Amino acid sequence: MECAYDKTLLPLLLNDQLSDSEREAVEVHVAGCAECRQELEANKRLWALMGAIDTPEPPSGTLIRFNAMLDTYKSSTDATYSPSTEAQGKKGPGILERLRQLFTFQPGFAIAYSLLLVIAGIGLDHWISRPANADTGKDTQQLAVLATQVSEMREMMMKSLLQNPSASERIRGVSYTSEIATVNKGVVEALLTTLNNDPNVNVRLITLEALTHYAGNPVVREGLVQSILQQESPLVQAALADVMLKLQEKNAIRPFKKLLQQKDLNILVRDKVQAAIARLS
Amino acid sequence: MLKVRSGDLDKMGLLFHRYHRPLYGFLFHMTQHREASEDMLQNVFYRMLKSRHTFTGEGEFRTWMYFIARNVIKDHQKKVRREPGTYDVTDFAEKIGAGVRTDELVEHKLEVKALQKALEALSPESREVLILSRFQDLRHEEIARVLDISTGAVKVRVHRAINQLKELYMQDETEKR
Repeated sequence: MECAYDKTLLPLLLNDQLSDSEREAVEVHVAGCAECRQELEANKRLWALMGAIDTPEPPSGTLIRFNAMLDTYKSSTDATYSPSTEAQGKKGPGILERLRQLFTFQPGFAIAYSLLLVIAGIGLDHWISRPANADTGKDTQQLAVLATQVSEMREMMMKSLLQNPSASERIRGVSYTSEIATVNKGVVEALLTTLNNDPNVNVRLITLEALTHYAGNPVVREGLVQSILQQESPLVQAALADVMLKLQEKNAIRPFKKLLQQKDLNILVRDKVQAAIARLS
Repeated sequence: MLKVRSGDLDKMGLLFHRYHRPLYGFLFHMTQHREASEDMLQNVFYRMLKSRHTFTGEGEFRTWMYFIARNVIKDHQKKVRREPGTYDVTDFAEKIGAGVRTDELVEHKLEVKALQKALEALSPESREVLILSRFQDLRHEEIARVLDISTGAVKVRVHRAINQLKELYMQDETEKR
């Protein structure tokens, strides 16, 4: 016996897809038809059993990853839109053009830099291959001048890269610091400003890493401690907790405690900071 | 979402908060792979950000989200086909770690496991409509918009999918006994 009733209506009862009158109509039919009743019952059992299939929770780092993605996305759109629109709004086209020139990467810098290195290399070669004589003093002096010029050049390049609207150029700028042998106040200040103010979380993380190399410098240490309360991104906060622990910086305890008072602090960061405080004190 | 579209990107955080769990569930049931599901989850939100201008506000946000999620899954499956041999570690861990509890619980658990296996064996097309309607609680009209087919076609697909699932499940049960 085959019931000719439209059986596609039966599943509609399961997930409540019917209006009251429609449902009634189907129920009336099912009450009188054993075949359809059987099918409906089987469907119902299956449907209930499906509910018992568990759905795993998303892993714990999901939110952090999402926020990092959102930050990066926001900063990348900021970088492409804001400088030009801002400049257009406030200043005339002449200044806009100049600003653009300032912010775009200039290959001239790179060429000048490599030329300078070649000259420095030739100078060094001359100095080494030449037999020691009365001129040595003068050569050393020249070399010292050249060396300072090179390092000034690097510094200038780093600073101009740090102003670049593209995050990857700024990261390049930060990585230049590893080539500058002696860091002066200007470099440290530029790095600390980037650490506290850069819109992109990745740039801030790289800057933090670069700064850790100069942790022997008391200004750097002080700057890092002060930066704890300025950071909003959980990634940077967590990285700072690690750095402070590595440096055994006891001055960090107070800002960390203040950080813990923030209500919306990320739970993972909270754990990390608490662990850091415990190990520092 | 309309606020996100007009430039308030922080509102995306709110949407993430509200929808990331069900969306993760959908991705997981479609692929059975936890890590890949998390990657895809981020990917769906990234694509929604990027193509926020295409959200018209006519349909519901949910249908738009699942529509994008389907495309992400398709891309993922293309990639997996190119580089096979990725296994979900947690899956193995679960198999190793399965302990024995009371008989009744075990019985129920086995039933659920068998059903899950049947669900995995379904054709993607059938699995999709079942997941959307059973786990994501989407109405048939919404599913129709996600899949870009008529509501009547959804009705037929759901009916066919349930019957296929029943068949696969019974097959598995009788093989065991």
